Amino acid sequence: MLNTSVAIRDIAKKLLDEKKVDLIIGFEKGSVPLRSTPCFVRSTSEADRLIWNVNCENNLAKYLPKIKEKVGIVAKGCDVRSIIGLIKENQVTREQVFIIGIPCKGMIDRRKIEVKLDGKEILEAEEKDDTIILKGHNLKETIKKEEFLHDSCKTCTHRNPVIYDVLIGDKVVEDQAADEYRDVKEFEAKSHDERWQSFSDEVSKCIRCYACRNACPFCYCQECFVDSSQPQWIGKTTNLSNTAIFHIIRAFHAAGRCVDCGACDRACPMGIDLRRLTKKMEMDVKDLFHYEAGISLEDVPPLATFNPDDPQEFILV
Amino acid sequence: MQQPREKVDEWEPKIIAFLCNWCSYAGADLAGVSRLQYPPNTRIIRVPCSGRISPLLILRSLQHGADGVLVSGCHPGDCHYISSNYVARRKFAILNNFLDYLGIEKGRVQFAWISAAEGKRFAELVQKVTEEVRTLGPATRLVRKQG
Amino acid sequence: MKELEIAKTEVVSLLNTLIRKYKVFAPVEQNSFITFQEIHAGSEAFLDYINSKRPPKEIFFPQSERLFSYDLSKGEGWGVEEPTLEEKQKIIFGIRPCDARSLVLLDNVFDGQLYKDPYYTDKRKNTTIIAIGCNQPSSTCFCTSLGGGPFSQDGSDLLLVDIGQKYIIQVVTERGEKLAKEHNNFKEAEDHSLSLMRDNIETAEALIKSKIEVQKVTEKLDSMFDDPFWDLVSEKCLGCAVCTYLCPTCYCFDINDEVIAQRGERVRTWDSCAFPNFTLQASGVNPRPSSKERLRQRIMHKFNYFVANHGMAACVGCGRCIKECPVNLDIQVVLNSILNRQDIG
Repeated sequence: MLNTSVAIRDIAKKLLDEKKVDLIIGFEKGSVPLRSTPCFVRSTSEADRLIWNVNCENNLAKYLPKIKEKVGIVAKGCDVRSIIGLIKENQVTREQVFIIGIPCKGMIDRRKIEVKLDGKEILEAEEKDDTIILKGHNLKETIKKEEFLHDSCKTCTHRNPVIYDVLIGDKVVEDQAADEYRDVKEFEAKSHDERWQSFSDEVSKCIRCYACRNACPFCYCQECFVDSSQPQWIGKTTNLSNTAIFHIIRAFHAAGRCVDCGACDRACPMGIDLRRLTKKMEMDVKDLFHYEAGISLEDVPPLATFNPDDPQEFILV
Repeated sequence: MQQPREKVDEWEPKIIAFLCNWCSYAGADLAGVSRLQYPPNTRIIRVPCSGRISPLLILRSLQHGADGVLVSGCHPGDCHYISSNYVARRKFAILNNFLDYLGIEKGRVQFAWISAAEGKRFAELVQKVTEEVRTLGPATRLVRKQG
Repeated sequence: MKELEIAKTEVVSLLNTLIRKYKVFAPVEQNSFITFQEIHAGSEAFLDYINSKRPPKEIFFPQSERLFSYDLSKGEGWGVEEPTLEEKQKIIFGIRPCDARSLVLLDNVFDGQLYKDPYYTDKRKNTTIIAIGCNQPSSTCFCTSLGGGPFSQDGSDLLLVDIGQKYIIQVVTERGEKLAKEHNNFKEAEDHSLSLMRDNIETAEALIKSKIEVQKVTEKLDSMFDDPFWDLVSEKCLGCAVCTYLCPTCYCFDINDEVIAQRGERVRTWDSCAFPNFTLQASGVNPRPSSKERLRQRIMHKFNYFVANHGMAACVGCGRCIKECPVNLDIQVVLNSILNRQDIG
């Protein structure tokens, strides 16, 4: 059976040897159980650090905007879609990027596991086929990977990289049946008051650390609107108004670009359900403008173009 | 400098209107010149084009206490800058849906196309929007409160 | 004063008694994580936890704090209002020894020789700290490397040790003694209980595997400012504020005015040296333009500059930054890398 980690190392060494790239961005073993961490490799001797497992949840495309070097990047399905978006937005060129594509069955949400274990600490985690064996103080439990995947992975419709320079492993079956907008529709079914209450409660947890913004590959503005002081769009305090507007605008800025990689959601230390916002954007862009982000290098981003017949029933004509 | 104390016996809606210079603002001007009556609750901000409108402007208005926001531009196809209002239309569609999704009352933020010749329509529109916002009551959801 | 003990079953009623006289803060479960909140009933306290998500520094140094407000609309001048002093005595119950030490550290900054911050000192001076030691430190804890420990008394007025059915109460300060004397649910600790306590302490301290020679790190950092090491170690840093905001010892802040029409307030808010604009000057120059300079600053500040200024590293080894960093940039890994770094040239 293919050992993905070994395959990644081999291709990395080959690319660096042949000077096809200056840098490989991948993952290496994390410092705590159930974590992998981004890894920047510039020599063949370092390439042995590279691994692949179910904890490779970060979107490495984050490191591409404005990069000067030729880079080989390890990318799963969602990451590749981000790369396509970044190429379209001229943040990196197609020639600069050697995509080491990995068909992905999903990444583990360690917070779901923490909830299941009711706060018991995991000291060791071992992946074994479809399961993970967890060990801790007076703790040994085997869990099924598919039960603890990130929500974004559960409804993923592009597990296989849409474009790649080399594909590691066989393509996996795409699940087109999953209703990826089920949570959005459930939320829409609530009343205005319920929705506002729920949204306010959710964003009240926010500590304005901007981990969500910084984890997103599409948040690459030189000056983010939150840092603008002339004019100051939102204040720095954590009152509801400032925080709500931050999240509304951040989601809006991602509209038509967000590929639901989940990086924002995974980065948030307070467990805010950010995908409730971004998923709504994604759904609307699909319904209103028939556009799906990160699939084609040719199509034009939806908010940079128009159709004379675009819907406008909401406009008072 | 001492500011006069505001005598607020009865709440009156405060509405901010972003009007594009070439069509909607001219339409508002025509309403004025034609001596058409409409409620005085709307404060007009002139922008070059509806395409200039960013959701930041709309949300900041709400944050600073606007009870309603009206955004108006040229009719599609008539934009002074050719196609800006078409692109704006897409932004407005997304924003309109999103604000509704989050529980901001329908009617707080409204969009319109008003041409330079539509002075009467502008007056009617402002009348309509003012009454709708009055029914909704003072805005509370995104207003920045002190303390 | 000798050690005391209290049965766990009596803790709720103890808290209820304290609540009648004091403002009591305790760990509370909210949104599936733990934070320190004011409790109004003893039953609200949640004590079966490793540590809180948000650091208890926010009780004395809130994320957003109003310094004063003004109101021009009343027509009577500026109408400046300052916040009222915290009169009521406070108790922080159930804080961990690392967090209790963090308050001592923050006192260096906000209650120092030259500068005293009244917004902080007002709250701090009226507070009694009742800490609960850690029987089972987390694998990310490294308090012992920073001069602390799972049962360190630094910063506590009373330190509780969980021995199963009871808590042993170590009386640390006069203030703690005064509080203990007020309550007759505290009995003198039995010998058997004390021996259990010593066992627990030994077991707990052995569980902390991480032993970093922080003093050596401080020394090495003296000559590492220009080391290319910083480029490598900072490459994956996202530049968010998770580590700084959740850190019990980070204290950088920003001051802004939030104004709407004629009313405004001057507020102090947490700020982070990890943010790109943290050192952006009015001229447009930014002396820390990339994550390299900013991560270097964080490490140098915590393990070198603060040591030079205050004699202790600005870290208590609580491990929150390790648990929550979105890219697993582990401060222990950085410190060990510094220790292993070969001298250049």
